[in-house]
Amino acid sequence: MSKLRIVNHPLIKKGEQKRISFTFNGESLEGLEGEPIAAALLAHGIRILRRHEESGSNRGLYCAIGHCMECRVDVQGKGQVRACLTPIVEGMEVVEGKQLENKITGREAP
Amino acid sequence: MMEKQYTDVLIIGAGPAGLAAATNLFESGFKITILDEFPHPGGRLLGQFHEESDGSWWIGRQVASELVEMTKQPNISLQCGVSVYGLKQISEGWEVLSSVGTIETKYLLLATGAAEIPVPLEGWTLPGVMSIGAAQVLTNVHMVKPGDRGIIVGVNVLGLAISRELAVAGVDLAGIVLSPNNLFSGENANPVEAINLLMSLSHLAPSAWMRLGGSLAQKMKMGKWVSTFFPRQGMNVWDIPLLLKTTISSIQGKKSVESVVLADVNSSGQIIAGSEREEKVDFVALAGGLYPLAELAAVAGCSFLYLPELGGNIPLHNEQMKTPLSNLYVAGNITGVEGAQVAMAQGKLAARSIGNDAGLLKNGREKIAEAMDEVHQVRKTATIQFHPGIIAARKRVYEMYDSLQKESLTS
Amino acid sequence: MGNETADVVVIGGGIIGMATSYYLSKLGLDVVVVEKGEIAGGTSSKCDGNILAIDKEPGFDSQMSLKSQELVTELVKELDEEFEYRAPGSILVCENEEEMVAANAWVEHQKQAGLPFRMLDRNDIKSEWKYMADDIYGGLECATDSTVNPVLFTYALAVTAKRLGVRLKTHTTVTKIRLDANGAVEGVETSSGLIYTKQVVNAAGVWSKHIGQMVGIEVPIEPRKGHILVSSRTKSIGTRKVMEFSYLMSKFGKERKVDEETEKYGVALVFEPTASQNFLIGSSREFVGFQTQINVDVIRCIARRAIRFFPVMKDIPILRSYCGLRPWTPDHLPIVSRVEEVPGFYIAAGHEGDGISLAAITGKVMSELITDQKTTITTDPLRYDRFQKTEV
Ligand SMILES: Cc1cc2nc3c(=O)[nH]c(=O)nc-3n(C[C@H](O)[C@H](O)[C@H](O)COP(=O)(O)OP(=O)(O)OC[C@H]3O[C@@H](n4cnc5c(N)ncnc54)[C@H](O)[C@@H]3O)c2cc1C
Ligand SMILES: Cc1cc2nc3c(=O)[nH]c(=O)nc-3n(C[C@H](O)[C@H](O)[C@H](O)COP(=O)(O)OP(=O)(O)OC[C@H]3O[C@@H](n4cnc5c(N)ncnc54)[C@H](O)[C@@H]3O)c2cc1C
Ligand code: FES
Repeated sequence: MSKLRIVNHPLIKKGEQKRISFTFNGESLEGLEGEPIAAALLAHGIRILRRHEESGSNRGLYCAIGHCMECRVDVQGKGQVRACLTPIVEGMEVVEGKQLENKITGREAP
Repeated sequence: MMEKQYTDVLIIGAGPAGLAAATNLFESGFKITILDEFPHPGGRLLGQFHEESDGSWWIGRQVASELVEMTKQPNISLQCGVSVYGLKQISEGWEVLSSVGTIETKYLLLATGAAEIPVPLEGWTLPGVMSIGAAQVLTNVHMVKPGDRGIIVGVNVLGLAISRELAVAGVDLAGIVLSPNNLFSGENANPVEAINLLMSLSHLAPSAWMRLGGSLAQKMKMGKWVSTFFPRQGMNVWDIPLLLKTTISSIQGKKSVESVVLADVNSSGQIIAGSEREEKVDFVALAGGLYPLAELAAVAGCSFLYLPELGGNIPLHNEQMKTPLSNLYVAGNITGVEGAQVAMAQGKLAARSIGNDAGLLKNGREKIAEAMDEVHQVRKTATIQFHPGIIAARKRVYEMYDSLQKESLTS
Repeated sequence: MGNETADVVVIGGGIIGMATSYYLSKLGLDVVVVEKGEIAGGTSSKCDGNILAIDKEPGFDSQMSLKSQELVTELVKELDEEFEYRAPGSILVCENEEEMVAANAWVEHQKQAGLPFRMLDRNDIKSEWKYMADDIYGGLECATDSTVNPVLFTYALAVTAKRLGVRLKTHTTVTKIRLDANGAVEGVETSSGLIYTKQVVNAAGVWSKHIGQMVGIEVPIEPRKGHILVSSRTKSIGTRKVMEFSYLMSKFGKERKVDEETEKYGVALVFEPTASQNFLIGSSREFVGFQTQINVDVIRCIARRAIRFFPVMKDIPILRSYCGLRPWTPDHLPIVSRVEEVPGFYIAAGHEGDGISLAAITGKVMSELITDQKTTITTDPLRYDRFQKTEV
């Protein structure tokens, strides 16, 4: 269990959740069934969810409840989703949002 | 193309307001559909808990699961993971556009809650910087700490309440500091304003606040200006350093947050030159306050009023939770920022209004009056109050509604 | 409050008002702009940024456009700020043989007028547009068409005008225009006081009718609503403007072959890649008064049209949508003119879907009219009294 998971909360009890595996940028990771992608990744200390399309700067979650769109990642078969709202499922393949080329300014993809 | 669905009452938002509305309506026999884009029902209830004045704990997650239990009725369909993005008035009610297709409904209740006001400052796009609500949701809903050590920026009701929740969960906090003094901060960056706010909140939670509020008040009475009196190194509240004379000037880090630069401020919120210092943290939670999440009301074509006491732009509605658009109702934080208990009472009231308008409520008038009374009662005794001017501001909304209705009747 | 004076008061801080103020200030005039909201808060921030000759009738129409295009290339150097100007050309695409025939005639017509037009066949289209639908017949190109960011363009004009001494009064509404005993302009009353002036330019876009009524004249400008969708940032689909030829078919007296909704909302695809590589996807044309509420049916209709030409669009998320009101005139030409019956009163409005294209030439010509110089282009087709004449 990762050190960021809270196991003994004095007031909140959560039922047992099944452990499942998914991948992030090809790396296989474990998470709890039903938790959103962003939480599962954070539990592994992964905060960088995407690179800004234009500048390439690192971005993570901001609001965690679907309002800000900062947490965009790509899920195989689903396209772009909000990592804070989308629950992981067994075998899910998640890829970070990438910096893109800009054909107008001539900047190439990294 | 997905097939069109039909329902009698559609509720957008499965927070306390939406769930309470559904549980108070199912006896009507209506077909009720609740949609929410979050994967679990409960809205912001899921992350909240606080200590009541009798020392007991009010735990939102429990309240939510009780409400969800009550929605398990054959005529209620609760669907999570569904986003609503469009609304259109049709002759027989509303057409609702969602990520699972179009749904036609006779009555529509918007219970979309509130959102957080962003706090821009240098370095705020680094991973590890998040809104205070995100820190709450990660910690209390997903049960993952936002980081090893963090700092809270912004002295306001939500910031303080959630700091405490983080502390209870064992999250290490370097302190609570003032919002950065920049173009976007307004009053939040001013230590005197922050202290005034704290004084008005002494009922926020027991013991610690009473003591803090009380002792500040005493010192004020002694004629000394609190901002000169308040210790520069801060005071501990629930073991969290409350640094009312400290602000944040930037967030640093290469790949993600590594530290913040803090600085001392004078009583008007200006940084004292040379006082800058670095504090190691791996997350920053920004508390900018809340505003009603009312885009869907705008999409519906509702008119708005701007009332800072209620959090900003409010869709026009009357005390029975009706908007000027036919068969469109609102409840919960979309009508103004308040606590979850008020939202629940408003949900019940909206349910009664809908039942009454449909001709299904016996003794409709009385039942509505009773529900309105309940909202007042809950509001008066609420543990968490977001703004001292709420009651007066609400009155203004209702008056405006009435006068506009009269106008449209006469013209 | 002391009363202000000015050589010229410009009503409206849209692209037309700002271009006019800029050119006036270059001539050394003392100008005040009165804007009821923010600079570019009206139609000039709810539009595309195309500067087009491709859809203009050869003759006065296209000459005015080309002249404006020339001025814009000068403004790129003159103005204090950058506004995402580039000139990649633009194309119109055809869905069937009938359109190809009409397109061919259009290209010949334009070439005779000396404009850089050419036909594109299926292969030309396919090699430039990897994501275009396979069943597109071909199209045509105008090589000189350009594009700007309309909001930045308006602000670039505003900032430079301000440096040259123009005073910008935002959040100030014009409430009345004072006339002297002879019926000539004497001053402008605003929500924050009176400004004495002998010259007023009505550059209030779709609101210029209302301003006209303040001096007792009828300005025949009506709002024509248009919707635009903004896509999220994705892979590059293309770098220049694509429009559908079918919308021009009406110019040839032929009927458009589209479904009922597309016809009803006047939807025709305008695909505009922006410098940040989002796409603006337009648009619709409706007369529904001043209301600017988004109509989801129109949005869906535009989206359908976009997907018809670019099938990949069905997987690209839309960020948001917005509506603007085009200042329409009965003959589709703007009014850039003196008003003879009210000495000192000028109109620079009614540019419908071409205000960004024509702002530079409009501003230049207005400054010339006001200072009694020979105008860069003839202004006869733009005179206010052309509508009065036809009425009889
Ligand atoms: C981040 C945050 C933290 C808060 N913490 C506290 C606290 O600690 N204590 C306190 O007293 N109050 C807190 N509040 C205030 C909170 O808004 C109220 O306590 C209460 O939850 C409001 O209830 P509601 O039913 O109006 O809205 P919410 O509880 O916010 O529920 C609204 C629901 O609507 C859903 N929704 C919104 N838009 C759409 C859409 N377009 N499509 C589908 N679903 C949609 C959301 O996913 C959400 O679940 C917090 C608010 C926020 C935003
Ligand atoms: C969907 C859409 C797409 C378009 N695409 C293009 C395109 O690609 N290329 C192109 O060239 N054109 C395009 N246009 C047209 C272009 O946007 C307009 O022609 C242009 O913006 C009009 O500018 P304006 O300055 O006349 O009006 P506005 O920008 O509307 O400015 C008028 C100003 O007057 C102010 N005002 C009104 N009344 C008062 C008062 N009483 N007191 C003070 N101020 C007042 C208003 O607040 C407003 O800011 C498009 C338009 C739309 C709607
Ligand atoms: S973090 Fe804001 S939408 Fe996901």
